[in-house]
Amino acid sequence: MPPQTAVAEPPDTVAQPAPIPAATAKLPVRFRIFIVDTGWDSPAHRILCDNFWLLRELQKDDEIYVLGREKSVEYMRYHQARIGHDPILAVHDLAAINGKGINGFHGFRLRLGLLRTPGQALLALQNFCRFLISHRHSTRLEADIRGGLRREGVMGAIQIILEHESRAMVSE
Amino acid sequence: MTEKISEYLSILLSAAAMGYMIYEIDKRQRKMHQIFDVLGTSDAHLTARLEGMVERGELQPYTGMTLA
Repeated sequence: MPPQTAVAEPPDTVAQPAPIPAATAKLPVRFRIFIVDTGWDSPAHRILCDNFWLLRELQKDDEIYVLGREKSVEYMRYHQARIGHDPILAVHDLAAINGKGINGFHGFRLRLGLLRTPGQALLALQNFCRFLISHRHSTRLEADIRGGLRREGVMGAIQIILEHESRAMVSE
Repeated sequence: MTEKISEYLSILLSAAAMGYMIYEIDKRQRKMHQIFDVLGTSDAHLTARLEGMVERGELQPYTGMTLA
């Protein structure tokens, strides 16, 4: 008789993940992350809420500021052109701010609310986390971002063209 | 004559393909910039507003594990 395989029962409710203990000493704060979210019932809002704990854990060396619904609405009333772009994750680069101030490059921003599907929003959030962690010690953050955006544009265009060509070949 | 025409035609097609490529790259880059962009001089007032909220203590580092 084959040995029985023990299969753990899935929990009935989604358990609140326990904070992961820090493996290394806390690094000096490089980024301040501001989350502006008025709470639109959108895929991006749900993705952010569902994965916030992971974002929190991955970025534990940096400070996260959540504006809350009231302050976010106030922010949007002041910056009407950005309504519908939220959740917005604005990252202030303290190295740049302490060096040259805020006149010039001083951080970057992800407008998660512009992504319409859960898949797109999740991928963007994952890329955002990866970028933050891998560039914590970058001394040329602006060049890294601009280079990355250029590459993404070129790669995306090539992908679209290839997809277009393959569709054309299939339909022939 | 036929050779000339096919030569011109291939040049025209290559130019069109190149134009399409440039158009797609530009479109993608503009879309990317809308979603993910850098904070510069034009965002200084926004940054100052947020940093001001932190300095005045209106915003504290968030320690919760979930968003409401």
